[in-house]
Amino acid sequence: MTRASHAPGGVWTVRLALVLVAIVAVLAVAGPALAPLDPLAQDTGHLLQGTTPAHLLGTDYLGRDVLSRLLAGAPASLLSALAAALIGLVVGAVPGALSAFLPRVGEWLALRVVDALLALPFILFAIVFAALLGNGLVQATTAIGLLIAPGFFRVSRAATLRVRDAQYVEAATLLGASAWWVLGRHVWRQVAPTLVVASINALGSALLAVASLTFLGIGVQPPAPTWGGMLASDLGYLAQRPEGPLAPALAIVFTVGALNLLADAVRDRVGAVTARPRAPRATTKGPRAPRATTKGPRAPRATTKGLSRV
Amino acid sequence: MNVVAGRVLATLGTAATVFVLATFATFALGAASGSNPAAVALGEVATQADIDRLNHLFGLDRPFLVRYLDWLGSALTGDLGTSWFTTIPVSDSIAQAFPVSLSIATGATLCALLGGMGLGILAAVTRGGVVDRLVTVLSSIATTVPAFVVAIALILVFGYAIPLFPVAGYVPPERDIGAWLTCLVLPSVALSLDAGADIARQLRTSLVGALTENYVIGARVHGLGPARIVFRHALPNATAPALSALGVHVPRLVGGAVITEVIFGMPGLGRLANTSALQGDVPVVQGVLLVAILVVVLSGIVINLIIRRSSGTDRSAA
Repeated sequence: MTRASHAPGGVWTVRLALVLVAIVAVLAVAGPALAPLDPLAQDTGHLLQGTTPAHLLGTDYLGRDVLSRLLAGAPASLLSALAAALIGLVVGAVPGALSAFLPRVGEWLALRVVDALLALPFILFAIVFAALLGNGLVQATTAIGLLIAPGFFRVSRAATLRVRDAQYVEAATLLGASAWWVLGRHVWRQVAPTLVVASINALGSALLAVASLTFLGIGVQPPAPTWGGMLASDLGYLAQRPEGPLAPALAIVFTVGALNLLADAVRDRVGAVTARPRAPRATTKGPRAPRATTKGPRAPRATTKGLSRV
Repeated sequence: MNVVAGRVLATLGTAATVFVLATFATFALGAASGSNPAAVALGEVATQADIDRLNHLFGLDRPFLVRYLDWLGSALTGDLGTSWFTTIPVSDSIAQAFPVSLSIATGATLCALLGGMGLGILAAVTRGGVVDRLVTVLSSIATTVPAFVVAIALILVFGYAIPLFPVAGYVPPERDIGAWLTCLVLPSVALSLDAGADIARQLRTSLVGALTENYVIGARVHGLGPARIVFRHALPNATAPALSALGVHVPRLVGGAVITEVIFGMPGLGRLANTSALQGDVPVVQGVLLVAILVVVLSGIVINLIIRRSSGTDRSAA
């Protein structure tokens, strides 16, 4: 109830987000094929131009077509964000769900390891990781994925803890079911919707992280186009071409914004499903009700927060 | 008193474990990089004999765990080793860069707290109104736009359209305190947006909750003014979520400072880590990360203790 009212906008924003995500997905696969010109072709006669019929988004400091570079740079930025989010999901979510069934000592240790990973300054550590281990896109993607993993750990652990104390899980455990069996049979269905929301959020933050790293020149070799790298090269020519950073910045912002909107929409949709076991709390109208409703929806939100931003 | 001491000890114990684990990860990363002083200092011409000699000189031929304990031990006494590239002591480089980063991070934290708290209170008080919606929309935009895009926008606006603040460079406070403050404005604002938006949202939610509690109605019945009710009664009970949001953001403020430093041309820790990591200068990188982790862990302790205090008074009052 409260979630729906918190969501910014209505159905049309969700549709807009879906359309944007679909466009971005197409670009991630077919971007280079759609580029009208060679993204690496330099044209010293037309440096730092504005919008012209030949160059719809202008040219950069080497006379390269910005639109073509934007399209050609899409796969590197988007696919590595996708890979990083997947790494985070696999490395974080499975141990997170299992940690709810560990003995007390193991649980404490697992939580401390996650705390330690969360204490690492995200971008700084990703830079160092990627730069020290060979400065490639694979290393950068791995670093971002590993640093996103603790967020997934927390989300999936919190969701698992909510199911763990349910009576049917207790019954299964008493009948001798192993943690793995309980996970695969019961917990999975309850945790999956939360993980979908967390994954979409993680995709957005991974995209921002990839853009940040490529902006700093980490993970890519110079001529290859990336959205972050385009921003960095435009930064040096603000005086000549102040609208330069606009195109790559908008590409990044719109993609991340669409992913965030989509995550909110999915959260609203599946929120009803995951909240069902605790429905009475949300509908009670006693004097204590305001407190319960403000505390209730916030808890899952707060745990996904770790993922929402770099 | 004993309870408080116990809590402090528990917090410290957790923080110490986190610190050891995080520094271990950092050290292991440096060791796994395969970078060695001979390759860094001599480049391609390094022979196997050079590599062995320098590895021995820097103590790299010892077992990994021995090196980690040695490094951590001497780090606690302030010795972080010397750079492979320049042979300048790492602690000197860090001492030079640290005030820059600290200034930006402190400025950003202040901006986030002031802006976030102000907007959060404003939104909660005008719940459902135009201001509330505006704050909600602004904060969701602020979480979507990355810090470096904000930074570029700020440079465009304040560097070219309205040249109010310097857009690059750093002036130490001991030279000119006014110039120091003005050169910090843009980087701090750029870095603070994300944390500020989060604080505003958390504070709005918890303050709206607190304002519907019985004690607020009681205070209103007693005839207290709205300002007194919000600031003296509701706000102290509603700040804990906002503070923990700040706690979540501290590592990101420390880490995000790298990009801000690069864009605004400031010689801080982030830039130091960036350049030395690209050179393969492992001791410098490890030292910078150690300091960053220390800052994160220490501010975590402080924020935890403040939250515990405020929730403690909450419980005793109830």
